[in-house]
Formats: sequence, C-alpha cells, structure tokens
Amino acid sequence: MNDRLKQLYKTVILKHNKAPFHYEKKEAATHQLEAYNPLCGDRFKLFLEVKEGIIESIHFHGYGCAISKASTSVLAKNLEGKTMKQALALCGEFQQVVSPDVTAKNELEEFEAFAAAKDFPGRLTCATLSWEAVQSFLVDKE
Amino acid sequence: MFGTPTFRQQFPIFQHHPTLVYLDSAATTQKPQVVIDGITNFYQKENANIHRGIYDLAAKATQKYESVRQKVADFIGAKNRSEIVYTSGTTAAINLVAHSFLLPRLEQGDEVLVSAMEHHANLLPWQMACKAKGANLRIIPIDKAGNLDIVAYQTILSAKTKMVAIVHISNTLATINPIAEMIELAHQKNIPILVDGAQSTAHYPIDVTTLDCDFFTFSGHKLFGPTGIGVLYGKAAHLEAISPYQFGGDMIRTVTYQDATFAPAPQKFEAGTTNIAGVIGLGYAIDFINQFDKKAIATYVKELGNYAREKLLMINDLEIIGNAQNKTGIVSFILKNAHPHDVATFLGEANIAIRAGHHCTQPLMDFYGIPATCRASFSIYNNRAEIDFLVAEVKGIQAFFG
Ligand SMILES: Cc1ncc(COP(=O)(O)O)c(C=O)c1O
Repeated sequence: MNDRLKQLYKTVILKHNKAPFHYEKKEAATHQLEAYNPLCGDRFKLFLEVKEGIIESIHFHGYGCAISKASTSVLAKNLEGKTMKQALALCGEFQQVVSPDVTAKNELEEFEAFAAAKDFPGRLTCATLSWEAVQSFLVDKE
Repeated sequence: MFGTPTFRQQFPIFQHHPTLVYLDSAATTQKPQVVIDGITNFYQKENANIHRGIYDLAAKATQKYESVRQKVADFIGAKNRSEIVYTSGTTAAINLVAHSFLLPRLEQGDEVLVSAMEHHANLLPWQMACKAKGANLRIIPIDKAGNLDIVAYQTILSAKTKMVAIVHISNTLATINPIAEMIELAHQKNIPILVDGAQSTAHYPIDVTTLDCDFFTFSGHKLFGPTGIGVLYGKAAHLEAISPYQFGGDMIRTVTYQDATFAPAPQKFEAGTTNIAGVIGLGYAIDFINQFDKKAIATYVKELGNYAREKLLMINDLEIIGNAQNKTGIVSFILKNAHPHDVATFLGEANIAIRAGHHCTQPLMDFYGIPATCRASFSIYNNRAEIDFLVAEVKGIQAFFG
C-alpha cells in the first residue's frame, strides 16, 4: 500500500466510513436534502432539524464510497448545533481544505484528513458532494 | 501469441507506460502503431476534403475513404458497401435509426422492445421515440445470472411491436445474447431488429447477411480504431426508404432556395465534412484485426474472462455480477466492504486500469439493487499474469477495508 493512499484513507476516513455519525433516516426532520452525483451514483439523503436558525441535528443515509460517506459523516458531526451562518462558514472552510489552490492547513484534523484528495482529482467530488448540497441549501435560506 | 511481450509491442501505450495493466477495453481499446501511423500519414501526406475536389489529392482521399467502406462491408459481411453508413459512433447510429426509421412509423399504442441489459445508448433513443408518440417501451427480462429470457421475449413480441433493439454483448454483464434466434423470431412477425454490436465487433465474427438483422451498429474506438467514428449497417431497402437525419453539404442531388432532393444512401446520411481521418484510421484498425483469426480472438478473450472469474471468486466476500451461460471477457464484481470507487482508486495506484460505476446501465444496476460495480474487461493484449496481479491487489484491498 503506498503512502499517497495511506494519506488519503487515513484513520479519520476509515473510522467515519465504518461507523458513520448519525447514520439513520429521520423522515420527520424539518428539512431533507439530497446529495447525488449522477456520474458515479453516490446518493445520500440528509435530514436536517432546523429550529430558529439553529441546526439542531443532522442525520444521513444512503450509498457512496468511503470518502463521500466519511465526508458526510464529518459534516453531520461538525455542523450540528451551529447557526446557519456558522454552518455556511464551515462549508467554505471545508471547500478550502480540498481546493487544489489552497496550501494552508486546517486545524480540524477531521477536515484536514480530506486534503489528500487533492492528489486524486477524480475523487475530489466524493469529498465535496454533501458539503455542496448543504451549502446551496444554506445559501438559499439566507 | 496474443498477450505476449512481443505482441504488446504493437501498442505504443505499453512502451510509454511499461507497468500499465489496462483492463478497460470495454470502454475503449488501445491503439496499435499501424493505426496511429495510418492517421498521421494521412494528415501528413494525403489530407484533402473528399467528394468535391477535382485535383489528385482530393481524388485519392475520396478513393481511400470509399475503399474503407468496402473494407467495413467485408468485415461484417454486408452484401453491398452502400449499406455502410459512417457515423460518429454507436450512439449516433442508434439515434439515426430511432429518429429517421422508427419515429415516422411509430404510432400511439405501438410497442418497442429492448432488453433489461441495454447500454443507455440503446435505451434512451427508443425511450424518447416512444414518449414522443405515446408508444410503449417493453423490456425483455433477464434472470439474476444475466441470461436473457428468450421465452418471455417470444410472448412480448406481438402485432403491436414496431421495433426490437438488442445489445449483442452486454458491456456490464458480459452476456452474449442469442441474437440469431432473436432476429429469426422478430422476422417471423415481420418486425425489424437492430443489434448493438459495440462490444462484439472487435472480438467476435460478425456476418450481418447470415444474421439477417435489419440494422447493426458499432464504434471504431472499441476495435483498436480512433474515437469519433462508427458504423451503421442497414439493409439497402431500409436505407433507401428512410429520410436523412441531418441536412447540409455532401448529401444532396439538387438544391433550390425552396427545395432539395437527396443523394442515395449512404451519402444522404453523411451530411457535412465527416470524420475522414477517423474513417482512414478505422480502415487500418480493420486491417490490423484481419491479420488474425477472429475465432481465435474470441476464444482468447473468453478464456481470459473465465480465468479471471475463477481466480476472483477465490476472494472472500467478492461477488461477480453477470454469470450468464454464454459470456465474454468482461467481469463485473463487487466487494462486501469496499465501494467500487475506492477499489478503483486503489487499483489505479497499482497502475491497474479498471472501471467503476454503473457503466451506462443504470436500470440494470437497479435490477441488481446495487449502485455500481468494478469492471475488468480484456482484449488481445492482456494476459494471465495481469489477471494474477489484479487478483492479488483486490485481495489486499479487501483486507485493508476489512
Ligand atoms: C453495449 C454498448 N452500446 C453502446 C455503446 C456506446 O458506444 P459509443 O460511446 O462509442 O457511441 C457502448 C460503449 O460504451 C456499449 O458498450
């Protein structure tokens, strides 16, 4: 197994892939979003419970590769309890982590684990799939 | 001799990537030096537009372009070279038939038949035609192993059926369909039938006259030729009867401001400047294949497929999708704990090129209740050592994801 791969599939990603955060359907949630990549077929449903501008909980369910699943799990874990504004800022931060033009490191280990995706251009969309879905939802709400 | 280092030398990609294990020939084949040289040579020494030039260079280019048409006709057993229409590929050829042949004769309540294992290229054009006319698209079922249900096919064929379109070899399941029988059954009810030969033409002997299919389509890039060139074979009577698909230069007999009459087939289907260099390259690709016995190619590729299946099945928690009785050198598989895209990324790091995804057969994935598979597909430059390497790497991936 080579180093680039080890870097990409760090323990953070493997851990979240195996035991994803809040991996269950919550049909009663206030908002349901879909993160879907028609090219590869990855598809997650995100269940957001939003009350008075605060994201009280995020659950998700669906099918995708280790990277898209782990990144959705990290998203759910990190956006819970945040205001819409804070959540939007975090979406931007995550995008920066995987942006090929950005070299600065992110302090959150769970975010920084995805930086290695830069070496695998074909896999960048796996990392950003759910983040983009949530970002456009938040932008619409603003 | 297939698959040996000497044989592989004919394909320059392997000199530029000495450790490349290319197992994605169902997507596109690698190109032999003779095809690359043939195209380069044409652009360097023979380039001119065809059909309209009087000068020597143009006449020679035209002659070469038309001589490839004869070559294609011989290659697939067409009676006459005028039954060979150049298109940009299989997709374009099927769209032409759906639009110009089927659409005008399709009415509300009519039926069109395709199988459950079609590539989107042989599904969507018919779907669109049916929607436009209020006709019904009927699906010929398959069993879980991936065998087409020929009995069900016979029952679905009816007086309402206006067209059958069937893939010869499934790019996802490897199934080789019983097209001769299917053509005969359709013809017993006077129903025209199109065969999508995208996956079969490179490796299997094709004789459209014996098969008696109404249309047959394939792409140059899947038979060691260039991209952007493909072929529609159509029976002369059909090609004569149907209207052009696109309009413009090079396809007319007479033109006034208000009206036009068209050239006979195949010219009336080749509007504008076509992919001339592509046609030239296709000619060299056919010459390349013609050096070999097609039956020997078919056997070699099939055996690679069987070998890969046998070895892959020794891996725990690996499932092969597509286990039809009659199948070719394509193997789709899934691992219990690793998603196909993760598998493909790992294999890519080992310089093994496979494909992961739905392979443009999304409804088929739904039938199996899976979103994607890993697919390894073989051609004449592959060998058993490459398969052993693939299997070893897949084992490692399985262990990594636990
Ligand atoms: C069975 C089948 N039909 C049709 C096609 C479409 O071929 P093309 O993309 O060359 O038009 C393919 C290739 O992907 C195929 O495998």
